[in-house]
Formats: sequence, structure tokens, C-alpha cells
Amino acid sequence: MIPLYGFLQGDSIGLLVLADENDTAAELAEKLQAAARIRVQAEANVRVVYQGLLIASNTTVAQAQMSALDRFDVIKADLP
Amino acid sequence: MLKRSQWLENARKLDWEFSYVQEEEVFPEVASGKPWLAHEQWKHWDEPYRTSFTEYVRMQCKKEDALAAIREAIGKPEDFRRLPRSWLSALKLHAATLPLAEFAAVIGNLRGARFGRDSAWRTMATLGALDELRHTQIPLSSMHGLVRHDEQFDWTHRFYHSNNWVAIAARHFFDELLLSSNAIEFAVGTHFVFETGFTNLQFVALSSLAHDVGDRMFEQTLNSIQSDEARHAQIGLPVLSAILEHDPVYAQYLLDKWFWRAWLLFAVVTGFSMDYLTPLEHRSRSFKEFMEEWVLDQYVRSIEELGLKKPWYWDTFLSSLDNYHHMVYASAYSYRASVWFDLVVPGPGERAWLREKYPRSWDGFDRIWQTVTERWEESDVGNDFAVHGTAIVTFCNLCQLVLSGGTPAKNTATTMIHDGKKYIFCSEPCRWIFEREPERYAGHRDIVKRVLAGEAPANLVAMLTQYFGLRFETWGKDAFGGDYEWLKRRRVG
Repeated sequence: MIPLYGFLQGDSIGLLVLADENDTAAELAEKLQAAARIRVQAEANVRVVYQGLLIASNTTVAQAQMSALDRFDVIKADLP
Repeated sequence: MLKRSQWLENARKLDWEFSYVQEEEVFPEVASGKPWLAHEQWKHWDEPYRTSFTEYVRMQCKKEDALAAIREAIGKPEDFRRLPRSWLSALKLHAATLPLAEFAAVIGNLRGARFGRDSAWRTMATLGALDELRHTQIPLSSMHGLVRHDEQFDWTHRFYHSNNWVAIAARHFFDELLLSSNAIEFAVGTHFVFETGFTNLQFVALSSLAHDVGDRMFEQTLNSIQSDEARHAQIGLPVLSAILEHDPVYAQYLLDKWFWRAWLLFAVVTGFSMDYLTPLEHRSRSFKEFMEEWVLDQYVRSIEELGLKKPWYWDTFLSSLDNYHHMVYASAYSYRASVWFDLVVPGPGERAWLREKYPRSWDGFDRIWQTVTERWEESDVGNDFAVHGTAIVTFCNLCQLVLSGGTPAKNTATTMIHDGKKYIFCSEPCRWIFEREPERYAGHRDIVKRVLAGEAPANLVAMLTQYFGLRFETWGKDAFGGDYEWLKRRRVG
């Protein structure tokens, strides 16, 4: 498992997400949204941002070359 | 008999020229601080109180008598039980973070009493140490009687001896400021920035809220402590003025570093209390308004009078006035079992008040509280863990507080690699402080790194009980068990 710092747009805090290297960006976003669900309503229309770039939803953690303690963001379309 | 004016200078100014040792050996830079200046440069050091030891003892005796009388009259457990439930949480938060930090300040003052560069400074620091000992003892003593009625008050003493995340952050701050700083950095960081800059927020603003809530004991305790702080805080300005003359860049750095670090701590401790834990009907002004009145105006004026500038991160700071304590409170509420006091959900009335006070930022927080409210609507009363986070939260590698910088729309956490290791910070100012003194901070492991190293458990309940030292009886809950008049419970599924 790869521990990553996840930041969900709309949330008040960063959370540690334990990712599998085969997790896709979509699955990573789902994990973070599930972890933050008491504060932020989960949404289907989200994207993962890593190192300033949008990641395709089917790109895996390994393909994106994410490594332990890297930061990723999950952004929502309806927030400024 | 000599008049006071005839002997006072002889009692305060006791410096002499060393003949058997060098001055640098008596006052080494590592303990006295930099820039290292010969005593010639310090000999005009002065402060306005010029208190003698006899006067100090007489004055303190009167204060002690007054406080003891008040405690006798209104400091009994039944007096505390009459206070609003959420205010008791504010009291527990302060009771835990205050007394042993004051004890660390005894040590910081004693360093000034030995290594301060002028005897008048050392005299005042000696009195400051005695003050801080008093500030340790008063809350420990007054809260002790409450422990049998409410075990969360036990954290008044337990807090700093625990690995609770708030305690780790508070220790990281106070250990550096009070225990390990040299006399000059202590004087600037503690006396000028922390005490002169920030403590009016506690001693004037919070004290007035305590009065409004009906907590006369806390109000009088704060007032009594304030009268000491106002005196020994005077050490800061003349020390700062002296180093400013010889190394203005360093003087600016010390101010900017400690202003940011103090701000984060006060935002959590005082921000929570003023904007969330004080019942709405007793709130007169918001935390931000108190900050603007009691900290910003005075601090900016005082540094500009000295020819210093506002910190480089001033815009970031102003933005955080609208956001930071709201970010941390929402996070703390959803991990309330990790602290030793109970938290509350702001209801419709509170949310309207917060929107009025924070028009620029409240929208983002209102969405969060709406979601929390909906979670409670579908959960049973008292089922705290149905509305509680379970994922591991993340911490800043400088301030050790949660990564709650910025706004809900954009968290300002920033990462860097130093000596091949990854670090993360809640904000640019925290990163900047780390980069200026990496040797001071790089070795400290935050809770995430402790979990990953196997030093702390990853499971939430194990973390609360085995690492944070909490039990069901003491960990934080919703102060009303989620049973709010305004909340409409609904069944799901």
C-alpha cells in the first residue's frame, strides 16, 4: 500500500489515503470521498490532480508514478 | 531611611566588569542569544515598571488574597455546573493548554534571569519566573476539585504528558519557544510577540466573554494573570530595540516566525472558544473582530513605530483570519474523540451569525456543517461514531497541527524534499520557517510518520486509547449527543 496525502475540494482537512498501485484515479477519488463523507457529499463528477496536472480517470497510481507521501487533490466541478 | 528613588538603581543595576573570565564565557551566545554584544551595548536597558522584590511580594500577596476570596465565593464545583455545557468545553481547552505551558515559561524566564544581558533585565525575568509559577499553580489548583465531577478536567494536568495530537503541536511550539530558545529569542518571541502581541486576546477579550457567560472565576483568574503578564511582557521591547539596532534582518525574522506560530495556536485555542463554544446569546464579537481590535491594530502599530515591516505573509495571514479556525474546528468536530473536551454543531442561529461575521468565507464552511447536520439527522442520538471520521488525518511538519490551511476550495498544503526526505506543511509560512532552520525541525516526526514507522497505531480506537491516553469517559463527544432542538431526525433505509 502507498500512503498518500489526499485533499478533497470542499473539505477542511487533508486525509491519509492508503492506495494500491493498481488503483485508478477514479478509485483513488472514491477512497478519498468515502473518507471525507461526514463533511463533504460525494459527487460523481470529480477529477484527480497530481503535481498540477489532471490525471485521466483510468490512469493507475503506478502509471502516474505516485509514491509514498505524495500529495494529490480531488477537485469538484461545482466549486469555485 | 533612603527613599525608593535613592536605592532602586543600585538594586536593579548590579552589573560589574569581569576580571577572572571573559564576558563571552559568562554570557555565551548559545544561551544569551545573538547578536552577541558587549555589555556596554546593553547598559541602558530599561523597562517602565522597575519593580523591586519587596514591592513584588507585597503586590502578589494582595492578588493572591483577592483570588482566594473569589474562589471561596464562586469557585465551587456547583458554580461550574451552572455554566453552559459548551462553555465548559472552552474552559477544558484552556485549562489543559495553559498551566504546564506556563510552567515551561518559568524555565524560559529563568534562562533570562541568568543569561539576560543586563541586570535590570535579569531582575525582571526573575519576577517573570515567579509570575509564571503562579500561573501554573492557579489553574491546576482551581480545576483539581472538578476532576471528581468531570474527568475531562483531569486533562488540565494530563494534557502535556500525553501524545495527544494537540499536545504534540502545543509541545512543539512551547518546547521551542520556552524551553530551548536563548534569552534573546525568548524575550522577543515570548514577551514581545506572544505576550504583548497576542495575550490581550485572552486576558481582555476572552475575559469579557467569561464575564458575559457568568464564569466569574475564569474571568477573575484571567484578570489576575493579566496583571502579571502586563509587567513582565515589558522585557520584550527593550531587547527587540537593542537587537534591531545591530541586526534588523534577524529581528524581523524572529518577529515573523513567532507571530505566525503564535497565531496558529491562538486561532485554535481562542478561535474555537469565541466562535463555537461560547453560547450564541453571550457572543458580542467574533474571533476575527477581537483579533482586529486587540491584536492587529496594536501589533502593527508597535512594529511600524520600530521601523519594522509587517510579516511578508501578511496577506496569507489576513485570509487565514477568515478561514483557519473554521477549517480546524470543522476537522476537530469530525474527529472529536481525539480530544478531551466536547464539541458542538453550529445550528441555524449560529450559522447565520457566522455568515454575518465571515461573509467572505462562510459559504464553504456552511456546506460542511450542512453535511454534518444531515449525518446526524440519519443517526441516533448519542451515536457519536456514526458522525465521526475514521481515516487518518494529516499533520503539518512544522506546526504539527492538522493540514487545514487555506479554504475548503483550496487547501494550501505544500510539500518539499529535504535531505532526501519528504515533508508537508499546512502553509507557505510554516514551510518558510522550516527552510530557515531545517536542523531545528527536520528530526521531528509527525503522527502520520509515527504511524508509518509503527510507533503509533493506525486503528482509530487504538490510537485514542493507547497513544492519546483517552478513554470513553474522557474522549470528546458531541456536547449534546447530536440531540439539538433544531435538528430533525429522520430514518433512512
